Amino acid sequence: MGNMFWSRRPDTLTQKFLRVHWGVLLVATLIAVLGTATLYSVAGGSVTPWAEHHALRFLFGLGLVLTMAAVPLRIWIGLAYPVFASALVLLCLVPIVGVETLGARRWLSLGPVGFQPSELMKVALVVALARYYQWLPSERVSRPFWVLLPLLMIAVPVALTLRQPDLGSATLFACVGVGLMGLAGVHWGYAIAAAASIGIGAPLVWNGLYGYQRRRIEVFLDPEKDPLGAGYHITQSKIALGSGGVSGRGYIQGTQSQLDFIPEKHTDFIFTIFAEEWGFAGAAILILLFILLIGMVLRMAHGCRSVFGRLLIGGLALTLFAYAFVNMAMVTGLVPVVGVPLPLFSYGGTAMTTIMVALGLAMSAHVHGQEQVGRPQF
Amino acid sequence: MFTPDDDDEAAKHQTFTRRAMLLGVGQVVCFGLVGARLYQIQVMDEGRYVPLAEGNRIGVHLRAPERGHILDRFGEVLASNQEGFRATLIPSRAGDLRQTLAMFARIVPLTADEQERIVQRAQRKSRSAPLVLAGDLSFEQVAELSVLAPRLPGIATEPAPKRTYFHGDSVGHVVGYVGGVERLAMDDDPVLRLPGTRIGKSGVELGMEDELRGVAGSERLEVDARGRIVRSLGETAPRPGRNVVLSLDVGLQARVMARLGRERRGAVVAMDVNSGEVVALASAPAFDPRELVAGAGADAWKARLNDPDKPLLNRAISGLYPPGSTFKMVTALAALEAGAVTLKERVECAGSYEFAGQSFRCWHRRGHNRVDLHRALKESCDVYFYEMARRVGIGALSRMARRLGFGEVFESGIAFQKAGVVPDPVWKRGAFERGWLGGETVITGIGQGFVTATPLQLAVMTARLATGRKIVPTLIRHNAGARPAAEGDAFQVLDIAPEWLDAVRKGMVAAVNEDGGTASNAQIDGSSIVVAGKTGTSQVSRASSERGQGELPWDLRDHALFVGYAPATRPRYAAVAVVEHGGSGGAVAAPMVRDVLGMLIAEDPAAKPAYRQPDADRRADAAGRSAPERSD
Repeated sequence: MGNMFWSRRPDTLTQKFLRVHWGVLLVATLIAVLGTATLYSVAGGSVTPWAEHHALRFLFGLGLVLTMAAVPLRIWIGLAYPVFASALVLLCLVPIVGVETLGARRWLSLGPVGFQPSELMKVALVVALARYYQWLPSERVSRPFWVLLPLLMIAVPVALTLRQPDLGSATLFACVGVGLMGLAGVHWGYAIAAAASIGIGAPLVWNGLYGYQRRRIEVFLDPEKDPLGAGYHITQSKIALGSGGVSGRGYIQGTQSQLDFIPEKHTDFIFTIFAEEWGFAGAAILILLFILLIGMVLRMAHGCRSVFGRLLIGGLALTLFAYAFVNMAMVTGLVPVVGVPLPLFSYGGTAMTTIMVALGLAMSAHVHGQEQVGRPQF
Repeated sequence: MFTPDDDDEAAKHQTFTRRAMLLGVGQVVCFGLVGARLYQIQVMDEGRYVPLAEGNRIGVHLRAPERGHILDRFGEVLASNQEGFRATLIPSRAGDLRQTLAMFARIVPLTADEQERIVQRAQRKSRSAPLVLAGDLSFEQVAELSVLAPRLPGIATEPAPKRTYFHGDSVGHVVGYVGGVERLAMDDDPVLRLPGTRIGKSGVELGMEDELRGVAGSERLEVDARGRIVRSLGETAPRPGRNVVLSLDVGLQARVMARLGRERRGAVVAMDVNSGEVVALASAPAFDPRELVAGAGADAWKARLNDPDKPLLNRAISGLYPPGSTFKMVTALAALEAGAVTLKERVECAGSYEFAGQSFRCWHRRGHNRVDLHRALKESCDVYFYEMARRVGIGALSRMARRLGFGEVFESGIAFQKAGVVPDPVWKRGAFERGWLGGETVITGIGQGFVTATPLQLAVMTARLATGRKIVPTLIRHNAGARPAAEGDAFQVLDIAPEWLDAVRKGMVAAVNEDGGTASNAQIDGSSIVVAGKTGTSQVSRASSERGQGELPWDLRDHALFVGYAPATRPRYAAVAVVEHGGSGGAVAAPMVRDVLGMLIAEDPAAKPAYRQPDADRRADAAGRSAPERSD
């Protein structure tokens, strides 16, 4: 990249369009196409009710990414704190005026549209932390006070979503937030101290968990104990995975999955269906696609000149990683079932929106990667 | 606004690059773990989960635990399970559902309407969840269904034990009954999700549900397209529920029920005062769970729910009655403890008591003249206790009442106990948004007004007075895992001075045994056993004080109460009788308690060796051995 020819004059839309990272979009599209195909299979070979919607949502999302890519970084910097603050307020409102579905209060009702503030927060947290580190001089990054501040920014949404209760979102906030702090250069010592305090604090957290959350953890440790109860998801998922074998049972041939044995088969457990039908070979390819996508995003971050831009892109990498890893580890019984979808693959409008907005922000950071962004005021 | 800071930027970039590379390596490692896990499940363990033939599938089937039995203290069975069979249907395997059902109906009669309802239910539920088509199949039907199995895809027969009750007419209220599961939450016990599961709905069946239910087992089965089992891939045996042994003596209970049954509505509680074990718990009218569980239908239910005598109500634990004069021991102790009166002090009773411009009557219109505590208890002088209540105030009264067991719901293993009301100004403000009136303290002194208690609570009060210990009642004798009930370990001593308790006990002895006592009907004729007790007649309507009880319509007559224990010197048993609209405690309730105490002393169930169940854990092990646990 010849940044010696970098000019102060704003780029034209065409220039920006040419700088979009098409490789990342290509891999993302591949994953979404596989997801659409699997949703077609889950519905027993039908584009309704899921596959069609999923494809349309992704296309709409692509449009959003390209639009957001044209927005200069200073706009995002300006929006960062206000959006974070409003996401916090909305999260606080959920327990008061939220709509209860399936026993948890996660939604705000805006007329006919349901809206989960926790999804807005997933993006807002990344932008807010990126802006914070854009401002913070590097010698202060590891000072206790300046570590405590971003920790608070993470802890408050974690606590609020835990109360809803939404263990999945809380996990994501914690992973992405702490991961971003790591990318920003916070000293390793803090990670070690945190690990130690988790060892001490875990029993306390355990006491604060809801019965169903505890049961999920208990059953995770020994799911065979309760195979039709709380361990149902994992046991059935493992049977379906195992029946796929190396080469799979064939497209739309996954008998375990086709027969309602798998709950949430179009959302959280869609990877099980895919891996039953395409076997270990297919699952490995999907995993490689995710590794490739996240690797490309990280490279994209490396090429970015500003802290803000790098952390925006890093936030996308962390979000993709946290979603994909937790989801796959969950359906294979490596971690407890916390209700996290597989990004770009699972059916569901809210998660798709979150990922595409994060992708849009990252793309904007990439397109404006050679811009110098100064230190904003606090 | 923007101040370029190149060095800083460069430093940050360097750190970022290092960290980003670490993250890159980290994600490869993490996804590698997932891949390794998949390799383990899909490649290394391949075969375990791959169905033997195309079209077969593997499912996890839940196995129901057997519900624990309920036994009386001598091992007499009160509730157990009878073998039975039922037919279930898994809609996703049924092929043409209507055709299969029509075939099924040739063996087990189902009307066209019922078939249609099953089809609708199948459409509403998950297609792989089994539905119960018919319970209570005969052996012939089971045999025919097995023969025709190839033509009945998706239909299976399975053992379905039926809850059966014994001695239902005398222990129905205590044992309670079971019924279907109404609502389900996702994290509920999987047993509840089994079709046909019955859970406790009242009595001990509900109170001890956790012990009785057991833990579900499971079996992984490969089934072919018709739902036939091809092979088992390993199972975990269900753990049967624990047996619950009650403290009740069913023989005695039957006799107490018969004695109580002479009255229309009422309750009797008989308790071992030293262990708190309830030996008999009777409520009239009786109710037999067998009539309801054996498919009595909605009409039988409606009839019982609409019956003005409310036969489903267990009056011994859920009936709330003003304790009337049986509350006077509480007032006496509150006054003695507060130092508001001495044992010798006499209070003038002229037949009525004036307070704040109101006149409160003594039941003895002409008055008792000058009475001390002993005579006041013996002759149940109302004026004496009006005065004591006024002296100590409502706070001291309600505190003493609580110490003796009023207002408390005990962990006795039985559901639907009521707490009753121990009134005080705070309670009244909450309940009525009105302030407390002095006159209300006065009538509380004789157990009228707001104060209410269950017969069980009155029995606890009596046992606590008799022993001076904080007796807690229980209906459960022992069950494996839990400590043997109360036996051996003594209850905490009540912190009430022994001399005050002694004075009250003497008053109760005098009420039964001295001339002029109100409870001479409680004497056991021709026996050396001395009974101590106290009558109570609680006013139901204002009219009762104006006219004689005999002239009143039945439902306006006073409730008759009696609380007593025996032998007075070394208390063994306490008994309480409440007869609704019985008219007079001394005339109706005292003889009933006399008879019950007579039976208790004569038979002495607490002294006989009680049933010890073969350790329930061993029983569970045995069940586990018969269906060995195979790990896979």
